[in-house]
Amino acid sequence: MIRRSRRSVSTGHALISPADWRRPGVRWGLGGAQVLLLVGLVVIGLGPLLWLAKSAITPTLDTLSHPMALFPHGAAWNNLREAWTNVHVGRYFWNTVALAIGSWLSQIVIATTAGFALSVLRPKYAAVINALLLTTLFVPAVVLLVPLYIEIVHPPFIHHSFIDSYWAIWLPAGASAFNVVVVKRFFDNLPREIFEAARIDGAGPFRLFVAVVLPMSRPILGVVSVFAVLASWKDFLWPLLVLTNPDRQPLSVRLPNIQSQTELGVFLAALLIASLVPIIGFLVFQRSFLRGTGLGGALKG
Amino acid sequence: MAAIEFQGVSKIYPDGTRAVDSLDLTINEGEFMVLVGPSGCGKTTALRMVAGLEEISEGALLIGGHVVNDVSSKERDIAMVFQNYALYPHMTVAANLGFGLKLRKLSRDEVRSRVQRAAATLGLEPYLHRKPGALSGGQRQRVAMGRAIVREPRAYLMDEPLSNLDAKLRVQVRAEIQKIQRTLGVTTIYVTHDQTEAMTMGDRIAVMSDGALQQVDTPEQVYRRPANRFVAGFIGSPAMNIVNARLTRVNGNLIVRFGEHSLEIDDEVLAERPALLAYEGKSVILGVRPEDLEDVAFAPGGSNERTIVTVCTLRETLGSEVLVHFPLAEPAQDATDAGELIEPLGDASSIFVARVHPETKVREGESLRLAVDTRRLHFFEPESGLAIYGDDDAAASRNGRERVQLQPASGLGS
Repeated sequence: MIRRSRRSVSTGHALISPADWRRPGVRWGLGGAQVLLLVGLVVIGLGPLLWLAKSAITPTLDTLSHPMALFPHGAAWNNLREAWTNVHVGRYFWNTVALAIGSWLSQIVIATTAGFALSVLRPKYAAVINALLLTTLFVPAVVLLVPLYIEIVHPPFIHHSFIDSYWAIWLPAGASAFNVVVVKRFFDNLPREIFEAARIDGAGPFRLFVAVVLPMSRPILGVVSVFAVLASWKDFLWPLLVLTNPDRQPLSVRLPNIQSQTELGVFLAALLIASLVPIIGFLVFQRSFLRGTGLGGALKG
Repeated sequence: MAAIEFQGVSKIYPDGTRAVDSLDLTINEGEFMVLVGPSGCGKTTALRMVAGLEEISEGALLIGGHVVNDVSSKERDIAMVFQNYALYPHMTVAANLGFGLKLRKLSRDEVRSRVQRAAATLGLEPYLHRKPGALSGGQRQRVAMGRAIVREPRAYLMDEPLSNLDAKLRVQVRAEIQKIQRTLGVTTIYVTHDQTEAMTMGDRIAVMSDGALQQVDTPEQVYRRPANRFVAGFIGSPAMNIVNARLTRVNGNLIVRFGEHSLEIDDEVLAERPALLAYEGKSVILGVRPEDLEDVAFAPGGSNERTIVTVCTLRETLGSEVLVHFPLAEPAQDATDAGELIEPLGDASSIFVARVHPETKVREGESLRLAVDTRRLHFFEPESGLAIYGDDDAAASRNGRERVQLQPASGLGS
């Protein structure tokens, strides 16, 4: 009901009233401007992706002779198959998936548990930890490369180098102050009374976390997931440093490497494969997570 | 079921504020106790200390005869109904009701049957599979109640559970809560700032102000024999008219003078308040309830000594009665420190209100003769604000008399 009334208010008080829209000058002038703007945005946003898709199935000779042609002479679907099998894009693809899933998991687990501890459990020293977390946000990632690399080569307590192991990617991914801060902010805004009600109902901290806080946090879990997967998918520098074995490297590292030895059409097909997952993933996640369905009816008012 | 006992319980915040100040209060087994007071008087803090949601800074809190200061909420076996319900938004009504039972490791069948029973009591059966978001305010309130009932706890704690309902629903749910509490006989502490709720629901009322307990008694006693000026002004609507006055003796009769008016004090009043004699020739604070003032036309036999003549400045017709506002020459005392509860009426400090017969002919601007029920006048000490009664019998209904404070309520969370 609230949503409906809000919408009616927004149309009622729009900059240009329905009466104005009926005047031909406004209609054609402004209407035309809107269409142009929309077309411009679509071309800028969607254009490169569609161009890549077109090039991926264009025979290499065509791309070389007529780079700007809108319609190629025949489609070379073979490019895709060749990229997947002969150039081993398939293997790199699954490497990337494994890295993304692991990084996502470690980020979600650490962000939610840390956010829960800092926001809900609130030990006395939470303020100090929170301040330390915030300061790490101000340190550029590049500065941390060398210390982090040393840490991975000589991890404390374990005495076994993580180089060439996916743990070298997964573990540092979890150490994201940004995620913790974002999740903590969200938890801060959840109604305390619900936690108190759960405590009186007999829930300990673990129950409170699993049965109450996490289910109420779907929107923020969606946001962190999207960021985590995208960041992991496109990360180049860190995987290049810690994964030396080509068979274990992700697409982002392998693609520049194979470019010189690969036929242009096949390479473009590989690029298409590499970019499809984040796009599809984002569309799916956005639908199920970003809708703020978490809090309906918890509290009055 | 269990008795709950506050023994000198205080809540002191790190900045030194005493939200609750040495509270001594016993809630008997099965009793419905209402904590009432203006916002920031510490009533909610007191309740949260029983729930184990606030630490107790000083004193001891006993539930069922055991000190529970260091016992977690979970193990206190109490249930709480929150002002904003605090339902779990991602669970269905049935899951909301059953959550506490599941955590207490009851068998599935037991959980289901208890949830069914509670849902039947509250008329929630058709909604068991809905989520709170799909319920109306009244239904959510019931779910919140149901969550307390299914647990079959030793005590219910209710924190203004009706304040989010509309006026009509509030009256209805008020009666329901009372009925349920009487049927189940569970010790209940009910916090409200609404004195009507307090009067109608409580077996006993504890009036609090500024962290201190002002009076604990049955609703009738609190209304009839308020322990001090604060309680007198807080309980009752419209609020008691309170004014500075002076006692004098004329022709052997004790007379109370206020503004340009004077009233004779009955022997009956003196019999009930022997201490009043000591105030002869001194100033006191006089309190008159609006319903003890009546249009003379509807109160025959009113002698001159028991009537006042004044001018009506505002007439409020309520159907069953008419409220007549009239000014006093003498500036009246603030009726209550609960600023939020009095409607500001221009220069409110010098306005008296009378609740008179609905057929009164008086109009605004006209002169009006009011009969005063002089047997029911209230008197308070000017400095301390304590009611002037006899000696011992009054103290019995007065609790925390040493700590009566009449400063304006501070802005603590209520």
